[in-house]
Amino acid sequence: MNNISRRDALRVGGLSVFGAAFLAACGKQSGVVGSSNILSEGVVPPTTALPAGIVTDVVLLRTAASLEYNAIDTYNAVLEGGLLTGDYAKLTDAVKRFRDDHQAHADAVNQLVVASGGKAHTCANTRIDSLYIQPALALVTASDNPDMSKDVVALAHALENLATQTYQGVVASLTAPSLRADAIRVAQDEARHAVVLAQVLNGGYASVGPTTNAATGKPNIASVPSAYGSLSSVLLQVGAPNADGVKTSLTLETPSLNGLIYDYVDCQ
Amino acid sequence: MTTAQARLPRSTPPAQPTEVDKQLLLFSQGVELAARDLYKKALESAKYSDDEVAMLTMFGEHHNTYAQAINGLIGKVATNKRNDALYATHVGQLASAQSAYAALQSLENTVAATNTDILGQLLGIDAARILASIITTEARMAAVFGTLPALSLTSALNSSANSLAPIIAQATETTTETSVSE
Repeated sequence: MNNISRRDALRVGGLSVFGAAFLAACGKQSGVVGSSNILSEGVVPPTTALPAGIVTDVVLLRTAASLEYNAIDTYNAVLEGGLLTGDYAKLTDAVKRFRDDHQAHADAVNQLVVASGGKAHTCANTRIDSLYIQPALALVTASDNPDMSKDVVALAHALENLATQTYQGVVASLTAPSLRADAIRVAQDEARHAVVLAQVLNGGYASVGPTTNAATGKPNIASVPSAYGSLSSVLLQVGAPNADGVKTSLTLETPSLNGLIYDYVDCQ
Repeated sequence: MTTAQARLPRSTPPAQPTEVDKQLLLFSQGVELAARDLYKKALESAKYSDDEVAMLTMFGEHHNTYAQAINGLIGKVATNKRNDALYATHVGQLASAQSAYAALQSLENTVAATNTDILGQLLGIDAARILASIITTEARMAAVFGTLPALSLTSALNSSANSLAPIIAQATETTTETSVSE
């Protein structure tokens, strides 16, 4: 014999009413257009599968080429926007040199791509652009940012370090030893750019090695920050300072699997 | 083919250095030890500010660290002997800070070029990974001498240094291939 108390009966009844109301809310309603994005039992939404992405030497080189165009576009934005003012205007020739170096790198890397049987990639990496560069440029050029030109240099420094790390990182993935040497030749140029910019941001012999900001406890910009080339994320602090005097921090990372320029990726 | 397999390169180089790799890395170790000794000699030969001494000491220690790292890669093959020819090329230019900086920049450029050529011959990926991280720092150290005491963009960015690396054929070595079935 089942012993159902009055309280149990009320509880079951209440759940039934709630469940019915919930299901009704989830069901089709008149006047509401159905969406394939909302899963419902018995209906398989149409999907479009991405092509298979295989990481090859060509894909790694195309990704490196795309980063070169990120740098070229950023330096062009700096030059065309007149973002280097005051004392920083004297860096204009250096910025032109860096941009031209990146163009030369892009051309050289794309030659390797073609020689390896791939298709040259002649535009920027959209994921790096949307994730890091455009947000950083918006912060740098904000009307309330008192350090626009210095922040431009900080952004350039971060991008040069990112490029250095990208080339250094792909060495471990490239299968052809000669391509590893080609990659690290370009990495050296990017590293040299980074040193020039580091000395602008934090110059002098005492700033060459790693030091820490006594106030914030964070590492200062260094020309030679460690004995070995780092592959960790690149910290960038730019934009108008908040009430505590702290700028917005962005963390830049080298392209991962969803940022690679696979064979099927074309410039838009 | 699983997704994980699809994302891997179709062949994987060996992780450990081959016997030829070890000979190439032995050469690199000699170059690094010569650099270490040249920094030591520079500090003994001219007067520098405290900050300069700290920087030069750090650079010399970096090269010593690289030699030790290579030791770990090549094991019993290691001789821990410096490259005397490279040492002799630069040791006579360390009498003043100005000439020493030019010599040390030339040294860094030469070491970076040499290690780059060696990297281009290595089959073992462990050594390639370490050498790559060494080379980018050596390029930075070379560039520092182009920015201090005053910036010379050409000096910081350009390097015409020749590689000293030997060319040793890997013909008898075989890679460890990991085939991925379709």
